[in-house]
Amino acid sequence: MGRRVKILCVCGSGTVSSAMAASKLKDVLGEHGYDVDAVECSPISAESALASGGFSLMACVSPVYEDLGVPKVNAVGLLTGFGEDKVIEDCLAILKAEEE
Amino acid sequence: MQSCYEDLVILDVEAENYEDAIRQVGALLYNGGYVKDTYIDAVVEREADFPTGLILQDIEIAMPHTAGIHVNKPAVCVAKMKHPVEFGHMGDPDTKVKAEMLFMMAILDPDAQIETLQNMMGVFQNSQAVAEFKAAKTEKELFEVAHKYIG
Repeated sequence: MGRRVKILCVCGSGTVSSAMAASKLKDVLGEHGYDVDAVECSPISAESALASGGFSLMACVSPVYEDLGVPKVNAVGLLTGFGEDKVIEDCLAILKAEEE
Repeated sequence: MQSCYEDLVILDVEAENYEDAIRQVGALLYNGGYVKDTYIDAVVEREADFPTGLILQDIEIAMPHTAGIHVNKPAVCVAKMKHPVEFGHMGDPDTKVKAEMLFMMAILDPDAQIETLQNMMGVFQNSQAVAEFKAAKTEKELFEVAHKYIG
């Protein structure tokens, strides 16, 4: 089992699109050796969701404008396939930086 | 798990704007008993705050949806617009999407319906699937394509 990382997946309803992004992240980051613990929420509840602590990054399918102190990645590419590689690269860069 | 049904496909929807499109397409879900009477208003409200338009490789679409409390039975309603309808982009509301198709989703529990959601993403990223959706000329053909790819 790979390193366990917590990722907050954010979308408008806090359920549907974030669940899509979460399932993709689990698969792809899993191939890179990460065991993804994804928590789903809406932008409005992001701050309270982060309060439980330990999140490496936020994968945002709907935009989050505030700086909540956790790195953000625009994750729409996970749904459309457009720029999916870039989303994964951004996530990996954040996770790698955390390890150093 | 089945999520596409013959009574949940529609062609040539003539809508003036995204709200009109959501109300017309949502009526199929409501009339079929798939969603509660609160669903359509909830989807319209959500779309205003958090749009669901997406620009795919060969088509622009929207996937309006809302929380499971408004849903009775999981389903995906597949609608083709007569003329593209402007939606905001999911990742950036200032970007406009000219949606040619709507995948209007009634999701009760995302974890239980993860297969449907994964199938939807599969369609979004599959040029062959998109081409078949675009080519469907009758409701029967549209249902067959939807059922084949989404379930």
